[in-house]
Amino acid sequence: MDRILGDLLPGERACVEHIEGGGALRRRMMDMGIVPGVELEVVRRAPWGGPLQVRLKGYYLAMRRGECAKIIVKDIHQGQREQLLASR
Amino acid sequence: MKIALIGNPNVGKSTVFNVLTGSNQQVGNWAGKTVERKSGLIQRANLEIELIDLPGTYSLTAYSQEEIITREYILREKPDVVMAMVDASNIERNLYLVLQVLELAPRVVIGLNMMDLAQAAGITIRTVELARALNVPVVEIVAAKGKGIEEFLTEAIRVGQLEQNLSAVEVSYPEALEHKIQAMEALLVNTTWATKYPLRWLALKRLERDPEIGQEWKINTSQSQKSKNSDSCCDSGDTVSYELQGQGELPGEALLRSYEAEGWSKDHFEMAFADAKYKYISQILPKFRTHENPAKPTWTDQIDRWVLSPIWGYPMMLAVLAVVFWGSFVASAPIGDAVSQGMAWASDVVVSLLQWGHVPDFVQSLVRDGIFAGVGAVLAFVPQIAIFFAFFSFMQDSGYLARAAFLGDRFMQLMGLHGKSFFSLVSGFGCNVPGIMATRTLEDPKDRLITMLINPLIPCVPRLGVMSAVVAAFFPGTWGSVVMLSLLFISMVLVMFSALFLRRVVKQTERSAFVMELPLYHVPTLRNVLIPTWHKTYSFLKRAWTFILVASIVVWVLSSYPQGVPMNATWAGKMGGLLAFVGMPLGFDWRIMVAIVFGFTAKETTLSTLGILYGVAADASQSIAQAMTGAMTPLRAYTFLVVYMLYIPCLASVITTYKESGSLGWTSFGIAYNLILSFVAGWIVFHGGLALGFQ
Repeated sequence: MDRILGDLLPGERACVEHIEGGGALRRRMMDMGIVPGVELEVVRRAPWGGPLQVRLKGYYLAMRRGECAKIIVKDIHQGQREQLLASR
Repeated sequence: MKIALIGNPNVGKSTVFNVLTGSNQQVGNWAGKTVERKSGLIQRANLEIELIDLPGTYSLTAYSQEEIITREYILREKPDVVMAMVDASNIERNLYLVLQVLELAPRVVIGLNMMDLAQAAGITIRTVELARALNVPVVEIVAAKGKGIEEFLTEAIRVGQLEQNLSAVEVSYPEALEHKIQAMEALLVNTTWATKYPLRWLALKRLERDPEIGQEWKINTSQSQKSKNSDSCCDSGDTVSYELQGQGELPGEALLRSYEAEGWSKDHFEMAFADAKYKYISQILPKFRTHENPAKPTWTDQIDRWVLSPIWGYPMMLAVLAVVFWGSFVASAPIGDAVSQGMAWASDVVVSLLQWGHVPDFVQSLVRDGIFAGVGAVLAFVPQIAIFFAFFSFMQDSGYLARAAFLGDRFMQLMGLHGKSFFSLVSGFGCNVPGIMATRTLEDPKDRLITMLINPLIPCVPRLGVMSAVVAAFFPGTWGSVVMLSLLFISMVLVMFSALFLRRVVKQTERSAFVMELPLYHVPTLRNVLIPTWHKTYSFLKRAWTFILVASIVVWVLSSYPQGVPMNATWAGKMGGLLAFVGMPLGFDWRIMVAIVFGFTAKETTLSTLGILYGVAADASQSIAQAMTGAMTPLRAYTFLVVYMLYIPCLASVITTYKESGSLGWTSFGIAYNLILSFVAGWIVFHGGLALGFQ
């Protein structure tokens, strides 16, 4: 099931399916390591619609909800997950 | 030998740079950019090495100032060796930059930093395997403890002296992509371009339709600045500038068109290359890295649970800001006062010497009221700027500044600004000069400019002092605090309005994304706090004093000629008189206008100017403010306060804006905007008040 990153609750994990839109935003995300297939975890959401703290590959990013809405994610399947953990 | 230091932000690059170069650094700006350029000379065994600290960057595309600078430097000045710093705790993303560097520079040495942090997080990196996987030398370092840094340099020197280039690993692209790259390579291999750039990189960039390749650049080195006796610290920095010579025709246009017809646009290629690099990294990763227990919370997790908590985060941020403010602007006050007193004493000594030598009166006055007053005004800033930047460097280096930006971002979103503007704006309440200087952390030049231009609308401590004295005199008791709060509210509203308004004035093609790294916490080294503090303070002094000296001499001339006349008959007084028509709609008399004109150099002098104009002999601000109550109605006083709060803070802030924006046009725009906005706001307040029946 496809969702956007902004929909994830704190503590939830998901895989990047693709990034909508293009240009500077997408490039910046790619430079920061947000590429299809990467596993993300929403650590916390700042109150009153503030940015999200996202963990990936052991580091943290802050992203606004607007940007998070452009990242389409899919649930991590059990098998896939084990594979991901093994690769770390 | 020329060596360049490259790496992601927060990777410990400046620590390594500071250890290697010590005090032998030159800090300035990159030519035509507002990004700091740091270089230093090192001597090792008869070898003179020029070490350049390239700005921290995540990628080598050409979209941010930092990326462009880094790329242009490697391409055009061709350093002998590139020292690439890698954060072991975050190796995947760091290697993404390294792979791009490997495509561009033939000799690279990797410095693997933060091994201690990585180990704490359960990550083990096998250095030998990493070196084998990439086929470049890897040196382990713990920069914060000074370990391995010398070995890192030694290895770089060794590689720089090798007869042959290293044959670093090449990213293996998917087959379909590889075919396209090779087809392009075949077209480019026999051109002159292939002699200037690595062939593979050239082909990739051609497929991305990168504008840089195909351009002929002439490198100008200005010899005058390169002389050794130039300032050891903050010289203008870059001695090299580039000049576009021409645009060459590159082959492959037909091929690119045919790819486009197949749906392979330049964006598509860019994405595919980036994707392939990340895929490649995850392929080789298991060879040299094991990550045990990745779900285990790290130190950073534990600290963030409190620091970024929706309940505790904000009180903690307020406490941190309170400490920074108290330290920079309150605790520094006695030092600032001591500096002013020292200057006053020195000026007395010099003046009495001049008296003894029967030097004419006007020279004595010039020395006392022009030169010493001007220099004293600059020096009085030094303690607060130094202390502020010590705190600032500490917060930036430890990782807290990014958290403050995270917490403050919601408020900044309302104004269409970046979370990082938050700290600059809050600092403005202390002093606008460091507030404007703190905009350097913003990556987007347009965001920086807007933050810089709205900063003066925030009342600084000296202005707040004058305002509260006037408020206390006109509105005694509880009314006073209501009035003060209403003034601050007006300032906030106008800051917000101006940010939104300037967003329309400042042309911006593409908004930068708010994707900000929250670095892992670590304890900054003393060197990393003190060296930037020294540079910031020194560069402020060096930039400001000539301007302020000239300006205060101009003000002195205007305010003391013709000689021996009362204040309102001097040139400045006449200017104030002429400007009375501007103040008329706001209910200001000429005295207020004269005080406003005089206040341009430093706002805190406004009260004493008013004291002289109202004929009050006393020095204390309270009694001057009391004397004003006889001459003004509360409404007029309130109008005065609004204008006073909003117009240009001081000469030093104007000069800082000019230096930080690098644009005379935007600085003049800022001054005009401030003046117009303050008078329009004053007019609205005055007439609104009259309409409501206030006097």
